[in-house]
Amino acid sequence: MNGGPVPVITIEGLVKSFDGRTVIDNVDLTVSQGRIVSVIGQSGGGKSTLLRCVNLLEIPDSGRIVIAGEEVFAGGRVVCADLARLRQSVGMVFQRFHLFPHLTAVENVMLAQRKAAKVPEKQAIETAVRLLKRVHLGHRALAFPDQMSGGEQQRVAIARALALQPKVLLFDEPTSALDPESTREVLQVMRELADDGMTMVIVTHEVPFARRISEWVVFLDGGRIIEQGTPAEVLDHPAQARTRAFLTSFDDVQPAELTDQESHS
Amino acid sequence: MISWLKEHGYWPFHVAWSDWIPTLWDGLLKTIEYAALGFLAAAVLGLVLALMRTSRIALVRLPAGIYTEVFKNVPLLVIISVTYYGIVQFGIKLGVFEAGALSLAIFYAAYLSEIFRSALTGVHGAQREAAQALGLNRWATFAHVVFPQALRLALPGTNTMLVDLLKSTSLLTVIAAGELMAVGNSVASQTFEQMEVFLVIGAIYFALCYPLSQALLWLERRVQAGSPLSPARSRRLRAARVLLDAA
Repeated sequence: MNGGPVPVITIEGLVKSFDGRTVIDNVDLTVSQGRIVSVIGQSGGGKSTLLRCVNLLEIPDSGRIVIAGEEVFAGGRVVCADLARLRQSVGMVFQRFHLFPHLTAVENVMLAQRKAAKVPEKQAIETAVRLLKRVHLGHRALAFPDQMSGGEQQRVAIARALALQPKVLLFDEPTSALDPESTREVLQVMRELADDGMTMVIVTHEVPFARRISEWVVFLDGGRIIEQGTPAEVLDHPAQARTRAFLTSFDDVQPAELTDQESHS
Repeated sequence: MISWLKEHGYWPFHVAWSDWIPTLWDGLLKTIEYAALGFLAAAVLGLVLALMRTSRIALVRLPAGIYTEVFKNVPLLVIISVTYYGIVQFGIKLGVFEAGALSLAIFYAAYLSEIFRSALTGVHGAQREAAQALGLNRWATFAHVVFPQALRLALPGTNTMLVDLLKSTSLLTVIAAGELMAVGNSVASQTFEQMEVFLVIGAIYFALCYPLSQALLWLERRVQAGSPLSPARSRRLRAARVLLDAA
């Protein structure tokens, strides 16, 4: 393949509707290995649904999905014989963490290794401890989810997703349920993963973070990709009016805050 | 002291209990057997009913729903009479023990299915999804994610039902099941000391049920606290602790 970009996710002509309402409308998207792609857009614009279609938590209506060279969805049906194995290669981090509350942090990271990937117990424990340290939570390994802050829980969730050595990590608004301090912790961990070359698709409201971390930004609105390109293209020089309108809605807040601060000083 | 009480007629015991100990012991064992078997069968049947009632298929839900409503609203005493006396008319003759244990199972399965169903639906749907996203198959998702959380939710109600069932074995006296209450009836009719006999029988039930419910409360608290109940889990946590301390 002499060094060309290897696609990890290829989506072609994806359509998904709920009760006759089209949520994903003919979307094409390719995510290459080592790339970090951010998906931005209004709530209800189909961002989460798009992500959930990738590991087939939602079954699309039509289109084609290829994960790591293997066709998993085509011709309106799931063609992947082993959905469980597919999902092991696609890690997912949820907005509200969804850790298993009856298990400690280290057991949360171990469970899928033991029961899905059939990793020997000793190795599963070692991996879990190593990953918890990697997300700076070695000291919280034996805590239960309800004893941890939101930021800690989300970092455990990231470790849990990493435990199966996925080819790509999907983040579904990973910081939307967090306070600023926790958000910083989680974004820090994601940045470190990016530096390690992890392939990631991030659905996010954090436009400044998307600008800094991603190499490719997709603006999704009304289930369609309105615009995609480098952060400089999409976020700084958006070609489409709707993209501009969306980004302006964020800017509105900032000048007001600045004015506020200035009036105090 | 005792002799003084006896002389003046204040000593409340007139039955020669030492003669009855073997009989009482048999009755006690019978009671425990009925309770154990009845509860086990009721729990299994209750779980099956609960799973049926949470099914997506209406044809699976319906019979389980009907079952639960019927047996929740018919007295246990009637169920006992039907399974032992009633069905004889159809040529089915169950032994006392079979009929007794079956009646308890039939009746309590209806209540347990309600408790289990609400526990199963009480586990957040996102938990299932998170497990699926990690590549756990349906069985592993149920066994390692849904069931342990449902167990936590179901335990208090289930424990209440177990103690209730244990006490309800006394109703089996109507089919002369040989359990504690039946033994009490027989002792009372032979000694004519109704008050004394039934006070003693009541005390034995209390001595059985109180420690049981306390033990179950202790178990509830441990499960709630997430303490490991299996040696395998203790071992995993120990191994993790060793690794963490080593660094």
